[in-house]
Amino acid sequence: MNNKTVIISCAGMGTRLGAGIPKALIDIDGEPLIIHTLKMLDKIEDVRVVVGYQAEKVIEVVKKYRDDVLFVYNHNYQQNGTGASVSLAKRYSKKFILTIDGDLLIHPDDMKEILASEQEFVGVCEPSTDDPVLVGVKDGKVTNFYEKNGPYEWTGITMLEAKKITPTDGHVLKLVEQVLPMDFKIIREKEIDTPNDYKNAIIWVQNNYNS
Amino acid sequence: MDTIFLFDLDSTVTKQEILPTIAKKIGKQNEMRELTEKTMMGILPFQDSFTSRVKLLSQIPVSEVADLVSDIEVNEEIVEFLKENRESSFIVTSNLDVWIEKLMHKIGMDGRYYCSKAKVEDDRIVKIENILEKESVQSELTSRAKIVAIGDGSNDFDMIRKADIGISFGGVRDIAPSLIDVSDYSIYNETKLRKFLTAIKNGEYQNEQ
Repeated sequence: MNNKTVIISCAGMGTRLGAGIPKALIDIDGEPLIIHTLKMLDKIEDVRVVVGYQAEKVIEVVKKYRDDVLFVYNHNYQQNGTGASVSLAKRYSKKFILTIDGDLLIHPDDMKEILASEQEFVGVCEPSTDDPVLVGVKDGKVTNFYEKNGPYEWTGITMLEAKKITPTDGHVLKLVEQVLPMDFKIIREKEIDTPNDYKNAIIWVQNNYNS
Repeated sequence: MDTIFLFDLDSTVTKQEILPTIAKKIGKQNEMRELTEKTMMGILPFQDSFTSRVKLLSQIPVSEVADLVSDIEVNEEIVEFLKENRESSFIVTSNLDVWIEKLMHKIGMDGRYYCSKAKVEDDRIVKIENILEKESVQSELTSRAKIVAIGDGSNDFDMIRKADIGISFGGVRDIAPSLIDVSDYSIYNETKLRKFLTAIKNGEYQNEQ
């Protein structure tokens, strides 16, 4: 497990939710979203949280739970994308980087499996959001993104060999596209983009992650 | 490429703030606290504040201050890093040469520090001859080395801003708010800091880009 750097991207503003706080801090059943994620990462030594919008607030919450996180600044979060956050955080990283969008809640069992994995993959799910990025699949591998009738939706979770990718300023998909085709893993997760997603995520947690 | 590490001293290498700790010994902690806070926040120009703070302590014999300073608790993990990487590390502090020499010796950093300078007569400071501007150190280090700077106060601003890798360290006290805007990383745990610096030094992590 210690050949992995886990990168949680929390620099963005998450305006669609309209909460006025970074999405990673939104309360899910009594705890900030990012704490749910960090609790699944207790055994990971190299955890990095990318901060930008309201950086001090995010840091305050994270370091109360665990103070040995490396905080990485994405100062230009208003102009660039999650790809920039990951590009900054992957400097001096371990062999694999596991990137997780800060607005995701992942099923704990699936996280265990992800952390045990020793190879690159793209995390996908059954199409579920209003505006999904669908993936194209051929011969059991992801070949491209933005495929009109792709069978799965991109999740915001991916494991990459860090040295294979070159930095980008754009979307994190620009990083992943560099190494396609690639295996995929079906992951149970909730992305929290809209007030409705938020409601569903809380119910999911309260039902012990049974949907 | 070689890597050079520049460390702030006060509440980065040390676990206590040096001047306030000494002020306590002579019952001047309130005056000192106020000056130090204002300086950390950046609302009092550093040079003025430093001169006032030295003045406050100038009634104590220099040798006594040097003893007190050398007894100040240090972050052991950081000192270990300094010992392992002595040839690529420097302490960069505005504190006075005559006050910190003994501490520098104790942590194995003789000749590996940049600091302010004072003139001493009869064991008393009679004049501050030079106040170190931390960013000047980078221009002095003319080599093509990669510079990593670690600090926590507003007087570390330019040193961290100009470094190739700027790290604000919050393991002892809160990081000065101004540093957030120029840091590449913040770290709040000394073990983590040591690990990350060691990894940068040894190139054991991948991906410099």
